[in-house]
Amino acid sequence: MSAGAVPASATTPSRGRISRGLVLWVLCLGAVIATGLAAWIYQLSHGLIVTGLRNTVMWGQYILFFMFFVGLSAGGLIVASAGRLFGVRIFKPIARLAVLEATVAIILAATFVLPDLGRPDRVLNILLHANFTSPMVWDISIVFVYMALSAIYVWLYTRADLARAGSPLAFGTKDTEASRARDERLKSRLAWVALPSAILLHSITAWIFGLQISRGFWYSAIMAPMFISSALVSGLALVILLALVLRHFGRVTFRDELVAFLGGMLGVFVAVEAFFVFSEILTASYPGAPTEADPIHRLLTGPYAPLFWFEAVVGLLIPFGILAVRHFRTNVRWVATASVIAVVGIFVHRLNLILNGLSYVPIGMPPGVSIGAPQGAVPSFAEVYWYVPTIVEWLVVIGILGIGALIFTIAVLVLPLQEPEDH
Amino acid sequence: MDRRTVLKGGAIVAGSVVGAALPVINPLGARAGRDYDTPKSKNVDRVVRTTCSPNCTGSCGQIAFVRDGKIVKIQQAADYPDTVYNPRGCMKGLSYANHIYGKDRILAPLIRTGERGSGEFREATWDEALDEMASRLRRIGEAWGWDSIHLFDQVPGSGYVQKGSNYRAGAALGMIHGTSFDFNGDLPMGMPITFGVQNAEHEAKDWANSRFLLLIGSNPVETRIPDIHFIFDAIEAGAKLVVVDPNYSPTATKADLWLPIRPGTDAALALAMANHILVADLADLDFMRRYSDAPLLVRMDTGKRLREADLVADGATDRFVAWDETTGTTVIVGTDKLGAPGGRAALEGRFTITLAGGSTVEATPGFALVRAELDSWTPERAAGICELSAEDIVKVARAYATTKPAAILMGGGSNHWYHGDLTGRALALLASLTGNVGRSGGGFSVYVGQYKVRVNTAPWYNIGEQAEIKAKIVPSVYFAHGRTETMHPEVPYPEHGWHGLVCSFANLFVQGMDLNHFHETLAKLDLIVVIDHQRTHTVEWADIVLPATTWYEKTDLTATPLHPYLQLQQAAIDPVGKSRSELSIWREVIRRIDPAIADAWFAMDEDDAIRAILDAGGGPGGPTEGITLEQLREGPVRLRVHDPDIAFWDQIENLTPFPPRSLPAPLEKTAAFIPTRRIEFYKEDDRFIELGEAVPTYKPPFDDTVHDPADWPLTLLSPHSKWRIHSSYANNPWLTEIHGERPTVQMHPDDAAARGIATDDTVEVFNTRGSLEAWAHVTPGSRRGAATLYEGWWPRQFRKGKGVNELTSSAINPIHEIHNLANMWAPSTGWKDCRVEVRKAGD
Amino acid sequence: MADGINPIDALPPASRAYGEIGPHSDRPRWGMVVDEERCIGCWSCAVICKSENDIPLGNWWNRILTDGEALDTPAEQNGALEMHWLPLACQHCENAPCVKVCPVGATYHRDDGIVMMDTDRCIGCRYCMIACPYGVRVFNWGAAELPVPFDHGMVDARPVGTVEKCTMCVHRLADSQVPSCVWSCPAEARIFGDLNDPESRPNRLIRDREGYALLEDLGTKPNVHYLPPRRKAQL
Repeated sequence: MSAGAVPASATTPSRGRISRGLVLWVLCLGAVIATGLAAWIYQLSHGLIVTGLRNTVMWGQYILFFMFFVGLSAGGLIVASAGRLFGVRIFKPIARLAVLEATVAIILAATFVLPDLGRPDRVLNILLHANFTSPMVWDISIVFVYMALSAIYVWLYTRADLARAGSPLAFGTKDTEASRARDERLKSRLAWVALPSAILLHSITAWIFGLQISRGFWYSAIMAPMFISSALVSGLALVILLALVLRHFGRVTFRDELVAFLGGMLGVFVAVEAFFVFSEILTASYPGAPTEADPIHRLLTGPYAPLFWFEAVVGLLIPFGILAVRHFRTNVRWVATASVIAVVGIFVHRLNLILNGLSYVPIGMPPGVSIGAPQGAVPSFAEVYWYVPTIVEWLVVIGILGIGALIFTIAVLVLPLQEPEDH
Repeated sequence: MDRRTVLKGGAIVAGSVVGAALPVINPLGARAGRDYDTPKSKNVDRVVRTTCSPNCTGSCGQIAFVRDGKIVKIQQAADYPDTVYNPRGCMKGLSYANHIYGKDRILAPLIRTGERGSGEFREATWDEALDEMASRLRRIGEAWGWDSIHLFDQVPGSGYVQKGSNYRAGAALGMIHGTSFDFNGDLPMGMPITFGVQNAEHEAKDWANSRFLLLIGSNPVETRIPDIHFIFDAIEAGAKLVVVDPNYSPTATKADLWLPIRPGTDAALALAMANHILVADLADLDFMRRYSDAPLLVRMDTGKRLREADLVADGATDRFVAWDETTGTTVIVGTDKLGAPGGRAALEGRFTITLAGGSTVEATPGFALVRAELDSWTPERAAGICELSAEDIVKVARAYATTKPAAILMGGGSNHWYHGDLTGRALALLASLTGNVGRSGGGFSVYVGQYKVRVNTAPWYNIGEQAEIKAKIVPSVYFAHGRTETMHPEVPYPEHGWHGLVCSFANLFVQGMDLNHFHETLAKLDLIVVIDHQRTHTVEWADIVLPATTWYEKTDLTATPLHPYLQLQQAAIDPVGKSRSELSIWREVIRRIDPAIADAWFAMDEDDAIRAILDAGGGPGGPTEGITLEQLREGPVRLRVHDPDIAFWDQIENLTPFPPRSLPAPLEKTAAFIPTRRIEFYKEDDRFIELGEAVPTYKPPFDDTVHDPADWPLTLLSPHSKWRIHSSYANNPWLTEIHGERPTVQMHPDDAAARGIATDDTVEVFNTRGSLEAWAHVTPGSRRGAATLYEGWWPRQFRKGKGVNELTSSAINPIHEIHNLANMWAPSTGWKDCRVEVRKAGD
Repeated sequence: MADGINPIDALPPASRAYGEIGPHSDRPRWGMVVDEERCIGCWSCAVICKSENDIPLGNWWNRILTDGEALDTPAEQNGALEMHWLPLACQHCENAPCVKVCPVGATYHRDDGIVMMDTDRCIGCRYCMIACPYGVRVFNWGAAELPVPFDHGMVDARPVGTVEKCTMCVHRLADSQVPSCVWSCPAEARIFGDLNDPESRPNRLIRDREGYALLEDLGTKPNVHYLPPRRKAQL
């Protein structure tokens, strides 16, 4: 679909446009969500023993998806607010989509934490007994701040259109020139909070890991910048992909130039990410001190080498190669391809972060750490533990992804995502 | 605190969705939460002081903490009045509750329904099982003689009352009691040969008094856990530690010097050390004159000792002759008191002696013969045999001889050989040459096996008004593998062979040697009864299985070689399941066979038995003088022995002739081992002379004559594991969590590489006797040319085979058959005398 | 809690005397010294810890590392074999990473320096396990599997879904008794005492035997110290 005339439907909520495909899609999501919920209930009743996690690798799939989605969300809002802050108007057609993506992503990120908890029933203890030396408390705070900001953003972006369409989501506000101006003012002012929040969100999430001297692979000042750069990569790539998908379904319109522009930006982010990765690896391995160098060796030539080189070549090198070349950058399909593999690359990057950070137990002397469950004929200890998520973890994760897809679907249906062309 | 559902909170979170469903689908029934910063321990009903007494010999006081009628914790009592013994105990004893309540516990009598060995049983009532056992025993007794029934248990020394009831039953019915100390290869034959005792050692705390510790084939870091701190105490006080072991054992890690000796050559090392001590003039020859047979003259014509009867017509045959260098005459040496004969007794030279008839004979001091042998054992020669450096041998010899007091601890690694007696004799020679015998901090001690009867068990083991009726005893190796041509004629081997076996607290069908041959014997038996608390592999072969109580469910009296405290086992809990004590089982069996015997001899209960034992040994100077049952109920009571309890202290201090008594045998029985009543290094019995073992020497491992080393390049060592006591504790969940349940064969990287074997590979270990499959563990700590498979794994833990004893040898050394005194001079088996090959296993 | 009697009060007098902590300052900071020369890798301390604290199968608060190639297996360096053991449980750090990161303050310092867990507050996020550089914290992943068909030990079981670890047997300290691992070490390799008292046995041993703390350079300031293996003597 080429850019051009804006379909009227795109600027208004889309009630009444329910196709059979949509119904099927929503039913599918419902089933996925129900299965995920059932899996979680199963996990609740048996304990986390039904996951692949153990004392040796105590964080896995859930935390992986938590940080991955934090990354996706931060990327989305940075696009939206940077566009506003620095006056990059070209983002405008997809700004609403970006903030929506950010909102959904951060909701999902927060949700992914819940099944990771051994005692989700006590989650309110975080409010009742918050310990402010804990980066996790900082992170939960910033997640909720960010979630609120994103939601406000979504509303501010769509309020006028909602009001015009008489949607109850306008909360009784009217679509007037004054209110639009106020929206714009608020958006501008909010941007001054939102951008730092997004950066902070990602930094703090990085610090959950990066402040831990117990884990040589994580304990690095570059963790926060790298989390931001990887967020930019994955967040932007996902926005590009969602934008293309929604354009396909006629929910947004923009010109291909925007794709080329975003692709170029993505290329820059990928380059920055690659630079950080390289810098980290060089710094950690150069002195040859085991606590830092061992994990790097495992990454470069050891058991995680396939993942790492996938990340480096497929996740970074190839997208950069595509996006650096004008010929490819201006081709929507190439940009989409680069975006997909960049997102996958960042996912693998985070997977490596978890696996390489945790698989080798601290004080690596035999027999290692007690695994957490009897192992039959072999000892209950391990120095190295190969974490593989169980079906339960997959079902829960897919269920939560289903929730995200459902929220996004509904939002796409009820929210006017197409920014009207500049008035 | 009651047990709520685990995730009540989970239900809240999920509540909106699943409502009341969650508690239904929540199967955890799990653990309640709490802040475990509680002020105090949880209450218990009571604590009971008892004694852990498996076949490790440790005899460690334990406290059982009982809550709701169940033992919730076992911890060392640490209440020995001599506080250096505290805490005493190890991880095995601490985890024993896992066996009391474990999955393998036998809870009810069983009667076989399937083929033998199939493990198919039906549960039976006690009446049924006892009736069956009694009637079948009687049938065998009447058809073949009661002596065709063999009673086997491990090990009498660990519980005088309950295990003693087997002896008592044997005495009452005429059944043959077997042996364990010799059967287990633990009887250090060098001891009866040299000192005329079953065994004798220093109590463990005396290790701390040593300034030089030579550990040979001994791995106390793994096998003497409760006592190992005494070695560290000695080291902290400046002692040096030398460990001789083919492998870099956990004990070797603590050594100042580790000698990685070739397996089975320990005697050569000891002889070379003795050689150097003599050459360097470091020997205490006065000690040899005073206490040993060194000065006693030996006739060159017969090889027998010169006796007073040889010299004068009415002379005694138990008085011997030495040569006094100061007077140039013979001097008569009696056996009533030790001491140096004459002014200065010759240890060298040849003397022409005029006999009673007027003829003359050449004679030489026994020591000259010993020395002649030693002269050939240069450090260089031994270095070649032992694959050590001559410099190290000299260094150790010099340090051993010049640091006083110096102790030698010989372990199963040295003793568990066909020629283990020669090793023991050579080491005894070292200890004597340096005057370390009978001295605190010195000595030559062997701590393998729970043999020691420290009390007078006669009124309990035996019946009759004067306790004169004893069970006949046949060394169990003759039960397992039949009689030998050289068997001592006085061994009461049953005329009609073996027809029944009552095996209690013993995993005989796994832990016996040369299992494939042994199982042929077992297959011929009419009746196999197994009394045990756990479903061992032996239980699977039984016709009748009787569930027995553990030592936390019954009363017993126990002691150990390692410390001289007498202790009780006191029931902490009621018997688990339908289990019963051995005494109550025998009482009921015998009541069914002959009520009169039961009434006369099995009406006594455990307390009666203990009182009888205490009384019998309670006379003036007796071991239990003044000790009462009531005292024992409160805690350990030190037996009336010298402090510290040192082997041969009385001989060295008071010149009392050797040997000290080895209970329960009468003194004259063991004194017959050493007619000179001195430490004997020269043995005049025909068989010693025929076999060329009249003086301490070295002979290559016996199995080399069965398995040519050229074809069977590896020596299989099967040492005791710290994780088990033989096959006990092999199924303890806490311990197997640590080390796994896969038997491993340790090999040196070079040997492994030559066979294409890597760690965790499945490997077959085999020789002409059998074959097993286990997992390889390649380690630089293993000696080249040796494969090590710690013994005691259960067959179900192997990949294939019955276990390591498919491979071990049952060969009997005829030297051990010169006398017949069960557990004291009897065939001691050689577990380590075993050559094998290892190859990668197929699928 | 059932009726009955405090197990410490029920001990025979000689046993109780054996376990007495002994003299200490008014404001003790409890600590321990572990002698690597004496440690024989027998795991008695680890086993009694399981027993005392009702720790389910699969979890160990206390374990013995082998400084070697594998469990009880030496390493070869320059042709020489060497092996030591390193008992490892919570180091009760003064600057405890776990305490810092716990989002709900479920792990905290007592006044006597012991790092404790409140398993009623723990939300089971396992961040403390991530943060601990010693790897001594374990999680209750599912229903407790025990080797006996009932709860054993001297403390209540912890709920599923929470983190737990060595408590220095605070329930025993309350009765002036040393932790169970100290009591049960047959090699007498564990010495317990008050680190605030400069003349306490642990402090004297640390001074005399060049005691060190594990991962000292991380600045965690453990209250558990180690005595290195001795240098071998020449014959």
